[in-house]
Amino acid sequence: MSFTSVKNNPVEKRVLEALDKAHLVQPILNAMVSFIDPLSQLEDLKSKDKNLPFYGIPVALKDLVNMKDTITTGSSKILDNYVSPYDATIVRKLKEAGAIIIGKASCDTFGMGGTNKTAATGPVHNPYDLSRMSGGSSGGSAVLVASGVVPMAIGTDTGDSIRKPAAFCGIVGVKPTYGRISRYGIIPYASSLDHVGFFTSNVSDAAVSLEVLAGRDDLDMTSSFKPVEKYSSLLKGDLKGKRFGIITNVTNAIQNKNTTTQFNNLCEKLKAQGAIVSEITLNEDLMKAMLPTYYVIANAEATANHSNLDSLRFGVQLEGKDNEEVMIASRTAGFGPLLRKRFVIGSYALFTENQDLIFRKAQKVRRLIVEDVKKALSEVDCLIAPASGNGAPLIEDTQIDQLSSEYLVAENFMALGNFSGYPSMTLPFGFDGVLPLGVNLTCKPFEERLMLDLAKGIEDLTQLNDLICEVKP
Amino acid sequence: MEKHSKAYFNNLAHQLRFDLTDKEAQDIVDEFSILIDQMNLLNTIDTTGVEPMVYPFEEATSFMREDIVDHVLSAQEALKNAPSSKNGFFITKKVVL
Amino acid sequence: MNYETVIGIEIHCELKTKSKMFSGAPVSYGAQPNTCVNEIDLGHPGTLPSLNKEAVRKALQACMALNLKIDPLIRFDRKNYYYADLPKGFQITQQFHPIGSSGYIDIDTAEGPLRVRINRLHMEEDTAKQYHVEEESWIDFNRAGTPLVEIVSEADMRSASQAMAYVDKLRNILMYLDVTDGKMEEGSLRCDINISLRPEGTEAFGTKTEIKNINSISNIEKAVSSEIIRQKALLEAGKEVQQATRRYDDVAKDTVMMRLKEGSVDYKYFPEPNIPPIQLSQVWIDEIRNSLPELPEARALRYKTLGLNEYDIKQLVQNKALSDFFDALIPSIKNVKLAANWCCGDILSALSQKQLEEKNYQLKLSELREMINALHDQAISSKQAKDIFPHLLKGENYASIVDELKIVMVSEHSSLLKLVEETLDENPQSILDYHGGKDRALGFLVGQLMKKSKGQANPAISNQLLKTELDKRKP
Repeated sequence: MSFTSVKNNPVEKRVLEALDKAHLVQPILNAMVSFIDPLSQLEDLKSKDKNLPFYGIPVALKDLVNMKDTITTGSSKILDNYVSPYDATIVRKLKEAGAIIIGKASCDTFGMGGTNKTAATGPVHNPYDLSRMSGGSSGGSAVLVASGVVPMAIGTDTGDSIRKPAAFCGIVGVKPTYGRISRYGIIPYASSLDHVGFFTSNVSDAAVSLEVLAGRDDLDMTSSFKPVEKYSSLLKGDLKGKRFGIITNVTNAIQNKNTTTQFNNLCEKLKAQGAIVSEITLNEDLMKAMLPTYYVIANAEATANHSNLDSLRFGVQLEGKDNEEVMIASRTAGFGPLLRKRFVIGSYALFTENQDLIFRKAQKVRRLIVEDVKKALSEVDCLIAPASGNGAPLIEDTQIDQLSSEYLVAENFMALGNFSGYPSMTLPFGFDGVLPLGVNLTCKPFEERLMLDLAKGIEDLTQLNDLICEVKP
Repeated sequence: MEKHSKAYFNNLAHQLRFDLTDKEAQDIVDEFSILIDQMNLLNTIDTTGVEPMVYPFEEATSFMREDIVDHVLSAQEALKNAPSSKNGFFITKKVVL
Repeated sequence: MNYETVIGIEIHCELKTKSKMFSGAPVSYGAQPNTCVNEIDLGHPGTLPSLNKEAVRKALQACMALNLKIDPLIRFDRKNYYYADLPKGFQITQQFHPIGSSGYIDIDTAEGPLRVRINRLHMEEDTAKQYHVEEESWIDFNRAGTPLVEIVSEADMRSASQAMAYVDKLRNILMYLDVTDGKMEEGSLRCDINISLRPEGTEAFGTKTEIKNINSISNIEKAVSSEIIRQKALLEAGKEVQQATRRYDDVAKDTVMMRLKEGSVDYKYFPEPNIPPIQLSQVWIDEIRNSLPELPEARALRYKTLGLNEYDIKQLVQNKALSDFFDALIPSIKNVKLAANWCCGDILSALSQKQLEEKNYQLKLSELREMINALHDQAISSKQAKDIFPHLLKGENYASIVDELKIVMVSEHSSLLKLVEETLDENPQSILDYHGGKDRALGFLVGQLMKKSKGQANPAISNQLLKTELDKRKP
């Protein structure tokens, strides 16, 4: 559902329709965690300029985004009753742009997962096949856009948490450059890898969204001073002379012939439009080391980031005979087994005796990976590869081989964009049966304008924009 | 305490202020071998002379906030989420020194 | 066996800023609980730190005054531990790259001058304040996030008096910089003192204890002395000193065990990912260095060139508020020494330290200056000044006090001569005594003369006249 189609409806009607639809599909998709009464926002809107980019457009927030006086659980148990006392910077920006926020979308607890199965409210279902997962961690946001509830939803991306669910759900998912969108007010996973981004149903809407959300924020010291470009008005989709580099490590690791064929077809079409498509091979050892590198850095930062959850100032508190017992009881009950495991591993990597061997080692490998990506991008405008070898997996998936290159490389390479902070996005390029497939683009830092332009070119070729998968109760 | 044993991870969890069930501790012990294998992938990479990368972009910045009071919560807002409060204070079971 | 004491001191000093280290909430002492906080200070999910420039400026000033090498690339780290007073579950500090390192200060001690080396100065944030009430702990987060510097000395001190002198000097320097209010009793300056004993002539350090919660400079000496005695008694009895944290109990006049130190805690320090490295410009650093406030040593030198004696210099310099008062007083004063006497005497006893620090008094400097100048000019007597002073304290003007108290000073020669002659005529025995070599006779005669003049005779001229007339009446 595009911004344009939404705007055909009067403001109040479109917001209420979005909420009605969200409620209607909730028993089927389980994408929402909480709903927000839009009345006061609609009231505020009356004094605002009707030409605002998001004027009266209903949007959803990932359940990690704080909005004053709303419940923000992080899809966790420990923050089940948490009422935000403040607005995230992007919430302020969205409101200023006229958006109406209708609720919080489900995610893996604190964004720590790629399946959305760890959400306290349970898995989110893929609208294209309800037995399949949405992908994660921003699964709820992706599904709300894919099922036509809202035309835009906020997500966050630490490894591929916007781009993977976007691929599984047949929509556009953008993770801009690190520092492009403020992280202030977003419950973190791993600070040096966390990015704020969003889902839309087409590239033009993505350009509008980035224009609104991007920009310097003094509350986030890692936010960039670089001026925000007019992404939407600069969008042309001209592919002539544009250089694409296919990441062969990924294409070689993909076992699904259908995916490979369709990807090759896309590349041929790009060439036909005058694009220069070449093959780029990244260091295979580094590619295979990417997942463990990610795992170490992300979990180490996460264990510290979530040390604030002690149930003393906020959150669900359990009984205990002294303060320490209270903390232990609350944290034990408040974190799921997966989180506890990750915290243990993250903490292990941080012990002074292990830091050089594990944590700092991973940070060094991170540098090598980023240098390799930087070198690759010095020769092309954009790195391109399928976002995943397959469509969305079954929710009840069987064990996968965690050391296979298909898993290590093809299913996890998008963390490149998180290690480097480079802008990266996915958009639909085909289907495997009923399941959408996504293609991933990664560009040089702060080249979002170029990245969106290339995506627009691809979208024009595939005509896979504004896909809505209606689900009926 | 034997390294990477259940007791070892239970103790580690305790330092992080949560408990593991017996099964979880066993799971971690089991999965740790996969982790160690994955770590070994890291160790195959020569990082001699490479500095750890802490931030995606490492150019030093110069911004610092001016010393201005620009945002304070009321005590009511500050205490709103508190599981227990009294006379403007957050209250907890006694803290063992 | 003789033992040598080895002392190293860590000082936590709250910086005097308007807002917190990493948030725009106010820094305030004594406010209602939890009214000086925002979501950042409470460690709410999603909050991020934003560094206060003024805190960095004050830390730089301290580095400069303590002769520390400055690292112009500011970096922060996380120190991870769980405690009810630590909202984020980690403290943002500078473990790996302190802003200042390898400095020193020179102190004066009973054993002579001593240079105490300073290992490092780093910036960090303060924790919340807890009150333990029966089975509960009450927590006030107002203090959480207050900018702090931690100053770590080398183990260069060997006695309780040296420890006290070090903290006193350091505190004074920091107060001269105006980086802190330095109030130990309110906890804005806190010191942890590490003490160990070793047999004289040996190198290896003995087991140390750490003393915390010392609330005044004078208690430092008491605390350290009693701890030295305690450790010495243990060692002499062949027992071991337990590595522990202790506190000084003001009532028991002894150190008391707080907790044993069991092994070292692994704080799992790692670089703070939310604060990128910040490059300080050399221009800014130079600007701060060039406008550094006058430090105690420089002030003492200046006072020396003004002609003040060692005692006055020490009295003034060690009390910054008083010294500032003196500096404000002395422009166009005719006699600086006299001004110093008044400051160290009457002013110090009339005004409280708090009044001096907050410049909260009715006394007008211009009027005090006028009185001291009049005293110097012998337009009034010391006795008259003592009468005038209480009125000055009430904020009255010098001229109107003189008017109201009908203070006049007879300096005119003929009037004084008449008084002198009358006095001599009435006291023939004193004339004889004077010439007989009894010095006291002159004093007596001056007293009589003052009485006769109702205190209004100019004492210096009267004195001179008396002597001349006495010589004329030599038998």
